[in-house]
Amino acid sequence: MKKIKKQSVRGLLEKWQKDFSVFVPSKASGSSQMAVWDGQDLAFLDRNRNTVVPPKANFLPNIEKMFGFRKEEDGYVLEPADEDAPRQLIFGIHPCDARAIAIIDMVFRDAYEDKYYLSRRQNTVLVGMACAAPYDNCFCTSLGFGPADATDVDIMLTDIGDSFVIEEITDRGKEAVAGAKDVVEATPADEKKAGEVKASARAMLSKEIDTDEIAKRLPAAFDDKSFWEEIAAKCVSCGICTFLCPTCYCFDINDEMLKDGSGARYRNWDCCSFAVYTRMPAENPREEKWRRVRQKVYHKYSFYPELFGIIGCTGCGRCIRQCPVNWDITETLNNLPAGSAARTEEKQKPS
Amino acid sequence: MTIADISHRKRYLAEGNAYLPHIAVIEKIINETPTVKTFHFNFKDEKLRKEFTFESGQFGEYSILGVGEATFCVSSSPTRMDHLECAVARVGKVTNALHRLGVGAEIGFRGPFGNSFPLDYMAGKDLVFVAGGIGLAPLRSLIWNVLDNRAKYGKVDIIYGARTPRDLCFKYDLEAWEKDSSVNMTTTVDREAPDWTGNVGFVPAVTEKVAPSAKNAVAIVCGPPIMIRFTFPVLEKLGFTPAQMITTLEKRMKCGIGKCGRCNIGEIYVCRDGPVFSYEEIKSFSSDEV
Repeated sequence: MKKIKKQSVRGLLEKWQKDFSVFVPSKASGSSQMAVWDGQDLAFLDRNRNTVVPPKANFLPNIEKMFGFRKEEDGYVLEPADEDAPRQLIFGIHPCDARAIAIIDMVFRDAYEDKYYLSRRQNTVLVGMACAAPYDNCFCTSLGFGPADATDVDIMLTDIGDSFVIEEITDRGKEAVAGAKDVVEATPADEKKAGEVKASARAMLSKEIDTDEIAKRLPAAFDDKSFWEEIAAKCVSCGICTFLCPTCYCFDINDEMLKDGSGARYRNWDCCSFAVYTRMPAENPREEKWRRVRQKVYHKYSFYPELFGIIGCTGCGRCIRQCPVNWDITETLNNLPAGSAARTEEKQKPS
Repeated sequence: MTIADISHRKRYLAEGNAYLPHIAVIEKIINETPTVKTFHFNFKDEKLRKEFTFESGQFGEYSILGVGEATFCVSSSPTRMDHLECAVARVGKVTNALHRLGVGAEIGFRGPFGNSFPLDYMAGKDLVFVAGGIGLAPLRSLIWNVLDNRAKYGKVDIIYGARTPRDLCFKYDLEAWEKDSSVNMTTTVDREAPDWTGNVGFVPAVTEKVAPSAKNAVAIVCGPPIMIRFTFPVLEKLGFTPAQMITTLEKRMKCGIGKCGRCNIGEIYVCRDGPVFSYEEIKSFSSDEV
């Protein structure tokens, strides 16, 4: 392992700025998100908290131009967006958010490659920060990893007070650190301290779900309409639990046009909490709110494992922290009905 | 039989970005009903025009640049590649804008996406096509596909209905199939209407009356959800097993390639795993949001 003194991090960030757009956790307008480092502010070095807006926005921006178009005499001409994304380095991503990116990679790699997303993904270095102070509503340890898991980052940093211990996880990470000034070998004492920081963060996590028990109960709970109606009763369908979810990736596609006939096609985050999301001229499979709440839970805990072999949730706790009506997904998951087969009889005939 | 099989899927033709539409030109417009028009179109790019292939049942994302995209099947047959066709009911922003376009206007097309009707499974069997309203559009692609390879299939029954005589789509096809001695064509409307001398009654009831044999047969059903819902039990009564019944599902879609999220029925994504499913598969879905 290596280390760098906090006072020298500015130099490291400046080195990275030569090769990358450097994104750091930034506070803005009462929220926080990964934003381009201004070259000055280093307050984020001591904050070590998850941003409100998850770093998925660095790969799937909330609004993204897919292509432009203009009308010429002999018809429309498309102006494809630059397919090669600029190189970016995201500094201070927590293990849960890095895991979330690895999770949504599966969707964007599946069958048809999503050039926009994958181009950003391929041109990104993830500099992780071991989580030292999880929130009360975090439950990452229940999802098979933990606040210091380095599986999904290129470089892992651990805050040991006056320094960061550096673990180079991937070749890409090694390359990014190579030749950096002020990066020195960590001492055994540093490594021990890093270990203690990681362990103490893990010990702070008290919220738990039992994914085995949940997997057992989900099939029968699906048809328990009254259970879902009760859960959904207080939901206001605001969508915040999806917009701020680091693994929610659904999007809409929309066109904008100017008077001269030129314009662009955009995609923007969309949300299964909205009835219009699935509404068709004649029917809507999820017009009822309880179906939409159920969709949110099942997409993460049932459909995603079915399709990709992994739960589509990282336990980051954002959906709990930001919910205006205090819905707690872990309460729902921990209280799934044990199930009776009789309910399946109510299943509708297919259309 | 698993129709929702990846081997059944045709890959997007163009390399690279599946979100970029191909520009196509409208060559002809047919007024099918007061609310439905069929558009004949061809790609502007000569090379694409020659190389483009699709299979009956597949769909595309059609766009009017600046207005947006909407999802329709290709309603023409891959056996007739002189041009492509799509039939569009005027219901929303994009379809209204499409209805205002004239011959020569340019549209965007992404596709073909999704799986297709299982021609191999249907070969050598008697075929029963049951359609209602604009639901004939995807079946029409398949029917012409079958009729253009007539020797490969057994008897062909077509049962088609609409609310009123004016709501019957593809009247020129209905006439052609009436005349075709290898086709047993039944057309019906929901209620008595002036100058209508044909069958009267809902599609499921008329299907029961026509009573096609289930022996070595496949039924392909497409129409409004309510029609499909009532037709499956009739076919079951006639002896069709769920594996012998095929339909194509409709869901709101945006991307067409399994990313944008909204067309799921549980873990099934209609754009990626469908839109063609057997009733057996539908019955096995874990979700009731069909």
